[in-house]
This record gives sequence, structure tokens and C-alpha cells, in this order.
Amino acid sequence: MSLRQSTHDPRVQALVLLVPALAIYAVFALYPMINVVILSFQKWNGLDPNRQFVGVANYTAIFTRDPVFWVAFRNTVIWTVMSLIFPPVVGLLLALSLNQKIFGRNGLRAIFYLPVIIAPIAVATMWKWMYDPFFGLFSQLLTSWGMQGWIKDWLGSKDIALYSVFVAYLWQTVGFSMVLFLAGLQNVPQTLVEAARIDGAGRWAVFKHVTLPALRPTITIVLVLSIISSLKAFDIVYGLTGGGPAQSTQMLALWAFTQAMQIFDFGRGAAISVVLLLITMAVVVPYLRWTQRHEEVEA
Amino acid sequence: MLTLSAKLKTASIIAIAMASFAATPALAEDITLWTLNFDNNAGNEALKKAATDFEAANPGTHVEIVQRAVDEHKTALRVAAGSDKGPDIYFSWAGLGLGGEYVKAGLSLPLDKYYAEYKWDDELLPSAAAFADLYPGGKHGVPFTFKGEAVYYNKKLFEQAGIQEEPKTYDELLAAAEKLKAGGIPAFTFGGTVNWHVMRLMDVILETKCGAEKHDALKAMTLDWTKEPCAAESFAEFAKWTKDYTLQPFMGIDNKQSYSLFTAGRAAMMLEGDWLVSQMNGSGANLDDYGIFPFPTNTSRLYGFAEYNYISTKSKNPDIAAKFLDYFLSTKVQQDLLGQLSSTSVNENVQYTNQKPLEAEWLGIFQKYDKVYMNGDQAFPLDVTTEYFRVINEVASGGTEPTEAAKQLQNFIASRT
Repeated sequence: MSLRQSTHDPRVQALVLLVPALAIYAVFALYPMINVVILSFQKWNGLDPNRQFVGVANYTAIFTRDPVFWVAFRNTVIWTVMSLIFPPVVGLLLALSLNQKIFGRNGLRAIFYLPVIIAPIAVATMWKWMYDPFFGLFSQLLTSWGMQGWIKDWLGSKDIALYSVFVAYLWQTVGFSMVLFLAGLQNVPQTLVEAARIDGAGRWAVFKHVTLPALRPTITIVLVLSIISSLKAFDIVYGLTGGGPAQSTQMLALWAFTQAMQIFDFGRGAAISVVLLLITMAVVVPYLRWTQRHEEVEA
Repeated sequence: MLTLSAKLKTASIIAIAMASFAATPALAEDITLWTLNFDNNAGNEALKKAATDFEAANPGTHVEIVQRAVDEHKTALRVAAGSDKGPDIYFSWAGLGLGGEYVKAGLSLPLDKYYAEYKWDDELLPSAAAFADLYPGGKHGVPFTFKGEAVYYNKKLFEQAGIQEEPKTYDELLAAAEKLKAGGIPAFTFGGTVNWHVMRLMDVILETKCGAEKHDALKAMTLDWTKEPCAAESFAEFAKWTKDYTLQPFMGIDNKQSYSLFTAGRAAMMLEGDWLVSQMNGSGANLDDYGIFPFPTNTSRLYGFAEYNYISTKSKNPDIAAKFLDYFLSTKVQQDLLGQLSSTSVNENVQYTNQKPLEAEWLGIFQKYDKVYMNGDQAFPLDVTTEYFRVINEVASGGTEPTEAAKQLQNFIASRT
């Protein structure tokens, strides 16, 4: 094959187009990931020119001696479970409501989606003000309603701080689930809905037996994306509590950052990141395989 | 083939590049200072002016100042430590914590030779200069600023509670807190979300209950926190102060919110640094309404910390760097800088005129004390600091008993590798 012919080969063209992207991916994603895995077996404080190989010592330390790791792990699990329930359910309810032909629904869709485009750190700043126990919005409202007894130290109490942060996270992310469900709802066959109604099915029956099965692919996508997003939860926790009080809102992603970039124990920070990576992979890999199978079936 | 336009462009680029090289010849006496980008812009300008004046007084020298935010500065120093390049002079905090880490890593040049040559000990405030002796292997760094921390109090609230005099002993302070409580006034305000704010209370209580020597040994981790009864006693006392004498709730607010509550008269006292005077002045508070007294620990030491400039071991021009630091610390320059980088100078020969009442009080405090005990986050290594914060917050939240707190901290220290 001549050079001229080979340049017209679609496979060669595809390769030429892919190489720059692959190179960038390899340098900025693959290499750092491999380096983090290597670093998790080393001791390094960022100052010494040499990294010392320590075997699994960093993993032993975080699993057995770190007083915060398991708190962060538990919080990450709680956060993930809540993320699997609340944003999808609230998002679905919003989507169902805003799929109706109501006045100003486009404006309402935009309003509910708006928090998604705000930077999480800005959301944190906003909610921090609202949660201020002295001058914040919630305290002022409760005071004006004569419900001072309900005022809590929203971000300062170990018992409720994690849930207070989650409410802010829910406010920010629910619009994303809503949009995905709205897109999914457009694909629900109207002929089936009408046929069910003709057969005498009520609203709940139509929803349960027609709408919900048709939304199954969307639900899977929403749930998987919710899990991935929840495992990465960082900015909003950092901005609202910094992991406190007493590390009670600490999360794995934030604790990895704290170990590496604040305590400068890069080995332990990397070990926590690897644990988080493995958990994320356990979710993402089955999802990718499911997507691939789905695409093959459709093809 | 290149077009005429392309040729002209190429020629222009080469000409500009050559001109640039010609305009900035590499000077034999270049030095670089890496420091923070200070919130107070007057301070940034003053620093640049000092560098320009030094260059004018020393023809052939060039001082380049590189300023960064705190975290970027720390990261840049770490990168510099692992390479051949970096600053001649770098800013860091004094003490065995963060500043000590760079010293331990060999980034800081011992300055005994320059201390003797320039007689710095003769002109520096002893409390500020004391930090240079903390490190093994000689004197490291020279003071940039010195920060003292003491109790600010609201005179009207003290009067309202029937407190006639500033407490001079710990028992008197407790009695004052009790009087305030009886009058429905929270004694102190703290911000719990920034761990270091409420940490100050634990630090001063440790100094009070353990005394200077044991306190230092506990912070240096050479004494066992579980075997020294004063450690658990301090945690117990700390729990009492946060429960009974602190404006509630405080764990969910930060130091800025705490400051707003103090100036709004919601609490009578605040444990803060000397920098609060300019902050209060800037926010329009009437300084005459407030007073200051050092937390009564009965150890004759002032609570505080220092910021230092260190000469890097990688400096190619350490003599010029030392000369610049000497110029910067000189009475004339420090007199000019007064009020721009700090309300007090690290040079003891600086004259203070037209001081505000609280500034005069601070000066009196600085002149009275020649020994210092440091903030916990400057004294401990970073990992222990993080655990110290956690344990303190656990105690303040009522989740951990004092003896258990001492045990947890000691366990962490013992498990370090």
C-alpha cells in the first residue's frame, strides 16, 4: 500500500485523529494515576529528593492506625447511599412535574437546573451563610416563626453536620438528575401510555407499568452518575466544614487531599486515593460493561 | 518560500528577543525573595520599596520579590527543596512545625556567622529573635514579624458584670468568667470551624496547668500525655471553658463570624493576636471600648508566634541575601515600615509615636516579656497538629472525656513512624 493510499485508509485516519487525544490522556490522566499507585507504596513528604519504598506500610497505617480513615470511609458510604436515594427521587419528581404542560415550565426547568452550573465552592459559601446559627437565613426564619428551639448548630454539631452539608449538595445536584429524567421522559412511547389509559389504567398504574419501565436506562445512568459524583464529593464539604467538626464530616476524597497537600504525607494520601479509585472502579466497570452490552444490543 | 511579510515578522521577533536579553543582563548579585502575598496591600508595596531602596544603595544588586498565596507558597517551597533552583530568601513561620520542617530538610542555611557579623541580636526584640535558636545546628532565619496573642475584652461588658480590674491570675480570670456568666454574658467567643482558633484556648490552658517546662516538653512530644496529669487536667479545664464560658454555638462558625459577634457585644472576651487592633480600627470599632491583658498563665511567657525570613542553602549569593536582610531589619527601614507590615516592629530600637491606645498596650506587653510559648500548630509537626485539632474538637463537642483525649493524642504520637 502506497503512502497516499494509506492516508486514505479510515483506520489510519482514525489513528491520526486519536493520537493527540491519547497522548494528552496518557500524560495528564494515565501517568498521574500510575504514579499515585506507585506513590502509595512509598514514603515521601515532598521535600526529600528521594522517595523511600515502604511496601504496604501506608495501607497498614490508614487501615489500622489512622483515627480518621474509617470515619471518612463510613461518611463516604453514608453520603453515597443518600446520593443514590435523594437526588434521583427528587430529580424524578421534579421531572415528572415539569413534564406536564404547566405555565412557565421552561423557566422553572432553568431555575431548578441553575445550581448545577454554580461552582461548588460558591454554593458552599452561600449555604455557609444560610447555616450561620446567629445571623443565617434558617435561624432568622425560625426565629421569626417563633421556633427558636429548632435552631441548631447546623454545621457545628457532629450529629447533623454531615446531613446539613448533604442538603446543600442535594440542592446543587438535583437539577442534573432532573434534566436526565426529563430527557428520558421524552422517550416514553405516548402510544403505550394512551393504550394503557384506554385499557382503564389510572395515573399510578401508567407510571408503574409504562413510564417507569421505559425510564429504566435513564434510571441506571442517573444512579451510576450519582454514585460517581458522590464518591468525588470534595469541594462542598471542604467549603462548608473542611471535614469538621472533629473530622465528623470527613470524606475519603477530602482526607486524601488533606494527607497529601496539608500534612504533606504523599504516600498515605496516595494510598487513600487508591482505595477510593478501587471503590469507584467497582462501580464504573460494571456500568461501562452494561453500556457496552446495551450499545451492542441496539446496534 | 517565506513572503516578505513573514520575513519581516521573523526578523522583528529575533530583534525583540535580542533586545530583551540585552536589556536584562544576568547580574552577579541577583537575589530572589519568595514571600506571601499579604492581605494588606500597603505591606506589599512597602516590601517592594524596601527592595528598590536596597538596590539603589547597592548598585549592581537586584532583588526580585515573588509573592504567592499561602498554599501556593508552601507548594513552591517543596518543589524548590527538591530541585537546584529556588529562592535565596524564603518566608516561613518560625517554630518546629512548618518552618522547622524546611530546616530539617536542609533548606535553611545556619546564620550564626551573619548574626555575629551584623550584630542582629543587639537590635532585635528578644521575644521575636528567640525562635532562631529553636533548631538544632545553629541559628536559622531572622524575624520578619512577631505576633503576640492576648485577651481582648469589652470594657462595658466587664463593667456590667461588676468586674473592676483586669484579671491577673488564672483564678481571677475564672472568677470574672463566672461573674459574666451570672450576668448572662458569655465570657469568650471562638470560631470552631477553623481549628486553630479554639486551639488557642487549649494552648493557654496547657501553659497554665502544666507550666512552661512541661508544656514545652509535651509539645515537643518528649513527655507522655497520659503520664502527665496536667495534660488531662488541661483537657478537663478546656471542656469546662468551652461548655460554661463560651458563646454557644461556636463549632459551626469561623473566626470572622466570632469576631463579628465580639464587636457586636455578644461575648466579653476574645483570645486574639495584635493584628486585631488594625482590624478593629479598620472596621470602625471604638478602640477605647476595649482593653487587652495577656492570658494569666503565671509563667512569665507571652503567647505568640513569629514569621521569619530564611536564607536558602541553595542560594548562590548568601552574603548578598544576608546583607539585604540586615538592611531590611535596620532601624531606619523598620521605622519606615511601621504600621504597614505590622503595628509593631521586630527591631527594638524603633520609636513609636501617635499610637492608638491598644497599640500602646501591645507595645508594653512586648517589652515586658522576653520569653514566648508557641501556638500548637506551630509547635507540632503537621500530622500531630491535625490530630491535636481533632482531639480538641472532640472534647469541645462533648464526645470525648479529658483522660481519653490525652490517651488518643498520645496513641497517635506513639504510632508515628
